[in-house]
Amino acid sequence: MREAIPAEKPYFLASLREWIFTTDHKKIGIMYFVTSYIFFLVAGVFGLVIRAEQTQPGFQFVSPEFYNYLLTGHGAVMLLWWAIAAHIGGFGNFLLPLMIGARDVAFPRLNAFSFWSFFGASLLVLLTLIPGNHIKMMWTGYPPYSATGDAGPTALYVFIIHLIGISSIAGAVNFITTYIKMRAPGIGFWNTNMFVHCLIGANVIQLIGVPSLAGAVTMLLLDKYLGTNFYNPAKGGDPLLYQNVFWFYSHPVVYVQVLPIFGFFSEILPTFARRPLFGYVSMVFAVWGIVILSFEVWIHHMFVSGVPDWARVIMSYTTILIAVPTGIKIFNWIATLHGGAIILRTPMLYALGGIFMFLIGGLTGIPNAMVAIDLGISDSLFIVGHFHYVLAMAVTLGILAAITYWYPKATGRMFPEGLGKLSFWLTFIGANLLFFFQMVVGMLGNPRRYPDYPAIPEWVMLHQIQTVGGIILGLGILVFTIAMIKGLKGEKAPANPWQSPSLEWRIDSPAPAHNFGDKPPKVEPDYHPYKYGAPPAF
Amino acid sequence: MEQVFALPAAWWFDAVKVWLVVAVVIYIVTAIPGVYFIMKYRYKPGEREMGDHEREGHWGLEAAWTIIPTIIVLFLATYSFTIFKLQRTPPKDAMTIKVYGFMWGFQTDYLDDNGKVIKTVYSFYKPDNYDAGENEKIVVPAGKPVKALLTSKDVIHSFYVMPARITEDMVPGRITHLWFQINKPGEYWIFCREFCGTGHSHMFAKLKVVPPEEFTAWLKGDNKGLAEKNTETKESL
Repeated sequence: MREAIPAEKPYFLASLREWIFTTDHKKIGIMYFVTSYIFFLVAGVFGLVIRAEQTQPGFQFVSPEFYNYLLTGHGAVMLLWWAIAAHIGGFGNFLLPLMIGARDVAFPRLNAFSFWSFFGASLLVLLTLIPGNHIKMMWTGYPPYSATGDAGPTALYVFIIHLIGISSIAGAVNFITTYIKMRAPGIGFWNTNMFVHCLIGANVIQLIGVPSLAGAVTMLLLDKYLGTNFYNPAKGGDPLLYQNVFWFYSHPVVYVQVLPIFGFFSEILPTFARRPLFGYVSMVFAVWGIVILSFEVWIHHMFVSGVPDWARVIMSYTTILIAVPTGIKIFNWIATLHGGAIILRTPMLYALGGIFMFLIGGLTGIPNAMVAIDLGISDSLFIVGHFHYVLAMAVTLGILAAITYWYPKATGRMFPEGLGKLSFWLTFIGANLLFFFQMVVGMLGNPRRYPDYPAIPEWVMLHQIQTVGGIILGLGILVFTIAMIKGLKGEKAPANPWQSPSLEWRIDSPAPAHNFGDKPPKVEPDYHPYKYGAPPAF
Repeated sequence: MEQVFALPAAWWFDAVKVWLVVAVVIYIVTAIPGVYFIMKYRYKPGEREMGDHEREGHWGLEAAWTIIPTIIVLFLATYSFTIFKLQRTPPKDAMTIKVYGFMWGFQTDYLDDNGKVIKTVYSFYKPDNYDAGENEKIVVPAGKPVKALLTSKDVIHSFYVMPARITEDMVPGRITHLWFQINKPGEYWIFCREFCGTGHSHMFAKLKVVPPEEFTAWLKGDNKGLAEKNTETKESL
C-alpha cells in the first residue's frame, strides 16, 4: 500500500483566492457540500422548532405566521439544498470524473458558474431570515394563496428557484456531457459504477424537468406583480394549472433526490459485503425505468385537488408501478448481502439503515398511490411521515453513509469510527420514533401544516413521542457533525482504505489536484467496479 | 369505533386493512432475510474473509421479484379503483349541500327541492381554540347520504370530513364534490387540510349529526337574516 502523498496542499490549506476562482471539480464539489451541510443544519433547527411547537396543543413557542415561515424554510432548504445540492452538486462533482477516469468535468468553468449561482441562491435564502422577508407560502407556493399579501415576498422565492434552476440545468448539461464524452478507454455502459448511472439518470430528469418548474414560478411572478391572470380564476385562469406544471417537475425531483442515494447504497454494500453487487444489469434497467416512469405520475399529488376522476385512476396505476423498479433495487441489495463477508463499519451501518428505512418509505408510499386510500389521508401527517421516511431517513442516512465512505478520499483522513457508530444509532432510533408516530397520528386524521391541533388525547400522546424522537435525532446529527470536524485531524488514510476495485480509489488520498495525471488511467479489459476478490485488510 | 358507522369510511378502512396486510407481509419477507444475512454472513478473520464473488445475479430470482410485485401492485390499484368508484359516486337519494371555504372558515348552504338556499351556517375560525358555537355547527341527518358541492371564495382550501375519511379540495373557480353518510348521531370534526395561511390550523367546523326528524325541525327553524345572506351568496357566485 502506498503512503498518502498529496500532490498539492490538502484542500483546507488552499488559499481563499484558490477556492473562489477554482474550476477544479473536487473543490467545487466540496464547496457545494459544505454549503448544503450548513443549510441542512439550519433547516434541521427549523425542524426541531416545528417539532417542539406541536408537542402540546395550543401555541407555545412561535406564532402561526412564524411557524409557516419555519415550515416553508425547512421544506425548501431540505429539498433543494440537502436532498439535491449535497449529493448531486457535492458528491456528483467530486466522484463523477474520478469514477470514469476523467481529468475534470467536460466544462469546468460552467461548473464553477453552477456553483456560484447556487451560492447566490443560498445568499437570497439568508435574506428571508430578515423578519419582513419571511416567505410563508410553503415550498409548494400554491396560488392563489401565494399571490396574496399574507404569503410574504413571492418574488424572492421565485428568484431563488430561478437561480437554483440555472445551476441545476448547467450542472445537468455538464454531467451528462462528461459521462458521454470523457470516460477513460475501457469504461463502458455495463461497467460504470451504479452511482454514475444513478447520477446521470437524475440529471436527465433535471434537464427535462427544471424548465417546467421555472415556468410555473415565472407565471406566478407575472401574476402577482404584473397583473397577468394565468392562475386567477376570476379572469379565466386556473389555479390547478400551477399545480400541474409544478408537480410535473416536483414529483420527478424526488427521484433526483433519491436516485444518487440508490447509487451510494450500491457502492457501499458490495464493498462491505466483499462481493459483487447482485443483479447489476437489472439495477441499471431499474434506474432507467424509474427515470421514464417518474414523469408519468404527478397527478398523485393532486388526487383531491378536483382533477377529473379518470386522471386520478390512470395516475394511480402509473404511480403504483414505480414500486416495481424500486422493489427490484431493494431485493437486489438484500441478495447482495447473501453469501457476503459483512463488515459493519460506519458507512455500512448507515447504508443498511437507509435501505431498511427506504423499505418502510416505499411500503407506506403504496397507500398514497392507491387513490381510494389517498382520499382519506391526503394532506395529513401520514404523508409527511411517509416522505420523511424516504427523504429524511433514506436520503439523509444515504448521504451520511457516503460522507463516511468517501471521507478518506476527500480529506485524506479516516472518519472517526466510534463517534460515527454512535451518531448512527442516535439518528436511526430518533428518526424512527419521530416519523413512525407521525404516520400513525396522520392515519388518525391529523392534518399537516398545523401548528396547533384539537386536544384529542391520542393525538397529544403521539405528538409527544415524536418530540422525544426529534430530540434524539437532533443529538445524532450533532454527534455526526462533531465527528466530521474532529476527523479532519484524525488518523491518516491510505489510498484505498476499503480495498475497492473501483477507479476512484486508485489515486492518493486526498485526491491529487490532477486526478490520474496526464494520461487516463489504465483500465483492465475485464474491469468492473464491484470485482471483490481479495480478503480485506481493514 | 365511531368510524365504522360512516360511509365511505367503512370501505376506506377495508382498503387500509388490505394495504397493511400486504405491506407487513412484504416487509417481513424482505427484512427478515436481510437481517438474517447480516447476522449469518459476517466477516470472520481466518474463517470468512471473502464474499461469494462468483455469483453476480440470478435471472430467475430477478424475474420473480419483477413479476410478482407487478401482479401485487396491479391488484392493489384495481382494488382501490373499485372503492374509488364507490367513494366518488353519491347515492341517488343524497341530500345536497353547498360548502364554501374562505379565509378562514366554512359557509354551508342548505337547499330546498328547487335548489333555493333555505338556510346558511357560518363556521368561523377561532384564533386560539377549537370551540364551535351551537349555530356554527354544520348539521346533517344521521343515516342519510349527503353530497357536498365544494368551492372557495378566495384561496384553495379543503374539506376533510374526518368520520367519513374523505377529503376534497375547495378550488376557486371550480366546483368539486364529495359525499358522506354518518349513521350515528354525534359531533365530529371537519378540517381544512390544504394550506391556506395564518389561520389554517384553526380552520375547522363541527359536524353535528342528528336524527332525521330533528334535522327537519332544525332546517325549518330559525331562518332570520337569510334574505341578506342569499344575496351575498349570489354575488360570490
